[in-house]
Amino acid sequence: MLALLKRQRELIVVAALLLYPFVTYLTHGHRGREINLVDRVVLGVTSPVARALVWTCDGIGDTVSSYGALRGVRAKNLELSTENSQLRAEVNSLREQSAENERLRKAVGYVEATAEKEIAARIIGINPVASFLSLRLNRGESDGVRAGMPVVTADGVVGRVKRATGGASDVELITDQASKVAVLVQRSRVRATAAGRGGGHPLALENAVRTDDVEEGDQMITSGTDGVFPKGLVVGRVTAVQRKQSGMLLSAGILPAVDSTRIEEVLVVPALVPFGPAPPPPSARAAERKR
Amino acid sequence: MRFLLTVALALGLLTVESVVVKYLGLSLVRIDVTVVLVVFLALRSGMLEGAVSAFSVGYLLDVMSGHPTGLYPFLAVLVFLVVRLGGAVVDARSPVAFMAFTAAAELGHGLLAAFFNWMTSKEGQVPASLSVLPLQVLLTVIAAVALWPLLKRFEAPQERAQPSLLR
Repeated sequence: MLALLKRQRELIVVAALLLYPFVTYLTHGHRGREINLVDRVVLGVTSPVARALVWTCDGIGDTVSSYGALRGVRAKNLELSTENSQLRAEVNSLREQSAENERLRKAVGYVEATAEKEIAARIIGINPVASFLSLRLNRGESDGVRAGMPVVTADGVVGRVKRATGGASDVELITDQASKVAVLVQRSRVRATAAGRGGGHPLALENAVRTDDVEEGDQMITSGTDGVFPKGLVVGRVTAVQRKQSGMLLSAGILPAVDSTRIEEVLVVPALVPFGPAPPPPSARAAERKR
Repeated sequence: MRFLLTVALALGLLTVESVVVKYLGLSLVRIDVTVVLVVFLALRSGMLEGAVSAFSVGYLLDVMSGHPTGLYPFLAVLVFLVVRLGGAVVDARSPVAFMAFTAAAELGHGLLAAFFNWMTSKEGQVPASLSVLPLQVLLTVIAAVALWPLLKRFEAPQERAQPSLLR
């Protein structure tokens, strides 16, 4: 028996190498990947290399573009100076509006705040498997990034942190099959869910009733009810609305606002303070106690 | 030693690929450097060492992808065996044969990955990666051409005398 095993050693090892991952995939594959020591080592080794590569490529790109930009810099300077003055005036006006918004929000009695400041991160790589498009950031656990944190840009929602190690983290995009974001139509305030479909497809609009006021081109924003994304971030625009004769729900897609292949930097939003009515002022509390 | 070199090379290539893909702005197309490595291993290394190395390369892709557990090691070992079988029938020592095997392996690898992803997807929709598979095969073959001189350096001094499946 032992002699047979010895003779067939290669065959047995190769069969094990083939069957073990296959059985693991069929039985555990759908659960996703738990971060383990090997993951940490691999990400720990590859992230600095990726960071160095990005730094080098950016350095070369900057040098080339700086040389080109030197031409006509005087005219551009004048143009920018004028634009700067206009923007300053605009910022002042927006500050006023922001202060008014803050006053109104307090008056309504709702607060929405982040516990910590957002963490700015740079994209240093893209998932080598296209079916599971995800981004690698140059910030990890050591910078305060944790799994589950939302990732955004000025244009809107990108996704959420899927796994974080020492100096790097991976972001699961909202287009991923496993992603679901609570959204609402900005115009009509109809609530729904934006579900990722993977493979480069637009998001699917789920849980919207056929009679809901949803039209093509409507802007979808996060509703903040999923406990992950803060309220009011742009998710995308509604497309391909279909109201079938039968069935309760309407079918539509959402084109994401953020093109994940074009972004360079993102913001990781630390854990949110849950929504809730603002605590009453001390005088009101004292009056209540007296009663 | 060669096993460690293969693992290090796979890690380096996967890292470079992830950065290159970012700069090229590719969303669905990838340059499958792991397939190039696995094909080279199948054609130029011993059975046991090659299979273990192919498994490790697939495992690294699994780790880097952060998603399914087991799919890519399985596909890597499967591609390794099929290419090795092909190498036993056809003389595949020339660079041209290596490119041809890489193209065929990438096509098979892409189709199988799409099939398994389709099987396990929520809605059972046809993966969009299928439409870009020809471009992916082309980019992978270009990568194979670029990597050929480097891979030749990794080759063992004793080349397989008679290529066969389990020898």
